[in-house]
Amino acid sequence: MPAAGTEPGIGYGIDRRHRAALLAGLLPALLLLVALTLAPALYLFVISLTPATPTNPASLTDFSAPAQNYVSALGDERFIESLWVQVKLSVSTVVVQTALGLGVALLLNRGGRLVGALRTVFLIPTVLPPIVAALIWKVLYTPDVSPLHRTLASVGAPVASLITNPDTALWAIAVADTWQWFPFTMLIILAALQVVPREPLEAATVDGASPLQLFFYVVLPFIRPAIVVAALFRLIDSVKAFPLIYVLTSGGPGTATQVTNYYAFTQAFNYAYWGYASAISVVLTAAVFVLSALIGSRGARAAAHE
Amino acid sequence: MSSLLSGNRRRVLKGAAALGAYALSGPGARAAGKPFEGVELNVSCWSAPFPKLLQGYLPEFERLTGIKVNYDTPGFLIYNQRVDLELSTRGSSYDVLNITFIYVDRWLRAGWFAPLNDFVKDEGATPRDWDVDDFLLATRKIMSDKQGNLYGIPWTCDCYMAAAGRYDLVTQAGLGMPTTFDEIEKVAAATNKDGVAGFLGDNRHGWNFPPYLQGFGGNVFRRPPDDLMPTLDTREAIAAADFYSHLLRDYGPNGVLSYSYDQVTAALKQGRGNYATEGHIFLMPAADPDSKEAKTVRYSMFPKGPAGQFPGFATHAWGIPVGAKNKRASWEFIKWAMSKEMMMRAVREKGYSSPSRRSVIQSPEFRKRLTLNDNDVSDIYLKTIDLAGGSDYMAYRIVPVFPQVDTIIGQAMERIVSKQMSAAESMRQAQASAIADLKRAGIRL
Repeated sequence: MPAAGTEPGIGYGIDRRHRAALLAGLLPALLLLVALTLAPALYLFVISLTPATPTNPASLTDFSAPAQNYVSALGDERFIESLWVQVKLSVSTVVVQTALGLGVALLLNRGGRLVGALRTVFLIPTVLPPIVAALIWKVLYTPDVSPLHRTLASVGAPVASLITNPDTALWAIAVADTWQWFPFTMLIILAALQVVPREPLEAATVDGASPLQLFFYVVLPFIRPAIVVAALFRLIDSVKAFPLIYVLTSGGPGTATQVTNYYAFTQAFNYAYWGYASAISVVLTAAVFVLSALIGSRGARAAAHE
Repeated sequence: MSSLLSGNRRRVLKGAAALGAYALSGPGARAAGKPFEGVELNVSCWSAPFPKLLQGYLPEFERLTGIKVNYDTPGFLIYNQRVDLELSTRGSSYDVLNITFIYVDRWLRAGWFAPLNDFVKDEGATPRDWDVDDFLLATRKIMSDKQGNLYGIPWTCDCYMAAAGRYDLVTQAGLGMPTTFDEIEKVAAATNKDGVAGFLGDNRHGWNFPPYLQGFGGNVFRRPPDDLMPTLDTREAIAAADFYSHLLRDYGPNGVLSYSYDQVTAALKQGRGNYATEGHIFLMPAADPDSKEAKTVRYSMFPKGPAGQFPGFATHAWGIPVGAKNKRASWEFIKWAMSKEMMMRAVREKGYSSPSRRSVIQSPEFRKRLTLNDNDVSDIYLKTIDLAGGSDYMAYRIVPVFPQVDTIIGQAMERIVSKQMSAAESMRQAQASAIADLKRAGIRL
């Protein structure tokens, strides 16, 4: 109820007009977002409710058993196994890339032309197209042509192919992925390191804090949000790992490196099970959303706490 | 691709105009003129030697007929994915397409290609001496339905055979070219030394394993194409898997599981491997002048197993999609591309080594080209194709669900070779996976 003497609705009207103006300004971008991002995602979900396959056009609109693909996925051992492979690859690459990125960022967090040049050199793998990075590692991991294998063989220490051994194939992929992407985490963390204020560092130094104490009690709290963001980006990207696996192992030997993304690819493009592959992709996307939300909220809480 | 699609309307209009002119001109005038003048054809095939070399001759065809050809040869996987989608909509973007071997049943059974019988039998469209029967029986059988309708004109044959790049080592061991599976084992064991791998094989196990599987008396399915119950866990299949994976694991080079076919060829040419069973086009370069094994290589048919001899065989063919607007012009292209003269020119001028016409295979030029280090490989080539044509043992490969089983076989072999599982365990898992995938495809087992 407006107070007596005031003009009811004026402020409300201004707010409304303001909001309408904002909405009108945002509308083109929102429409573009819906058309380019949400609509295809929605279509993916719709297709996942059908037994779609290109050989039977009627299957694209067959919604008689909408949960069938999801039920099938739950009972599909190869899908479950691919999730486990995905977890191993994602956890290992995210942990190693974040730790390595942090370490190298700490080393490079100083002035000087040499350090500046080193930063650029470290970034080269990240700017390579993924397929080029995959080809580089394909050469390195192929005993016939690999300078690595040849050198080791020439000094009397031949090494069996790493990508055809089920015990090493996934880790060989993780190494290649780390080579390409740890500079990305390094870059984000380095940027955060460079804006850590000097005052608390100087105060702690005056109080006699050791370098380790400085790092854990002063620097780390400042850069933690950046580390979380970098890890989150890598986690999301690790789920999309494809070129390395496609080029290096094709998911093998057997299914030792068949991550969920690759499994969905074979279902869609080798077997033409579009509906089933879409269901797998929806599950994968949902899992990434949930994980991202969890990590993001924990990171935000930790930052707020500090 | 966009240029092909965007040209549709113009092409249809020109095609209609040409057809109109054709209808008005009468047979006499047609014979004298260019009835398809102004027609545009969109032609596509995956990137293989014959379609690529044909590209060089296209200006001749265009001059001869007045037809404009838009021609593309993308990679194998891209081609198949693109065409699968195009055909499923019965679209009219293409006028001539390759019928890919492993999609034969899927594409033909779905009615996506037009039968060619009317063109072949019509003397007005096809002169008698064009001679469709000259194409090897095995290739025509693959491209025909049960009623005998022919849907594709085959342009290639891929024959599974054997080569011993270091036959000198074989003879030193007191052995000869293997004629049985047991002899493969002996030759591989005897020559696996001093930096030479006794056995070479590439990672397309879905192509390489079935000849061994059938040689042991097994098969991929119970009775393809009618009964597609997988039979990957039978006693014969397990024995075959055990034998095949043993060859790769114990006599193969380091990293053999990731070997592609060109790595097999390279290993032969560099003298790093001895015995290989492969498609002929990957084995023939071992006799090239730049090969270290040029003077020692020897070829043979794929050996016999306990149950017989079943060398792999594949073919691909030109066909006309049902949605093509001007099928007579499409046929004009196929007729020209697959004439005796054109195939002979491909052999003579471009060194083509996989012809599908018997007259070309038996020609002195082809025999000369395929006489490698004094081996008559053309004879092996012809005998292998005739063997495949004499029975239906390749039927497993052209059923619509083979791509699924192909991957499953590959994974099964990799598990055995990399010692993740025994042959029995791995093949039982393969059987379970194959049944699950076939059921998902709607196959009643």
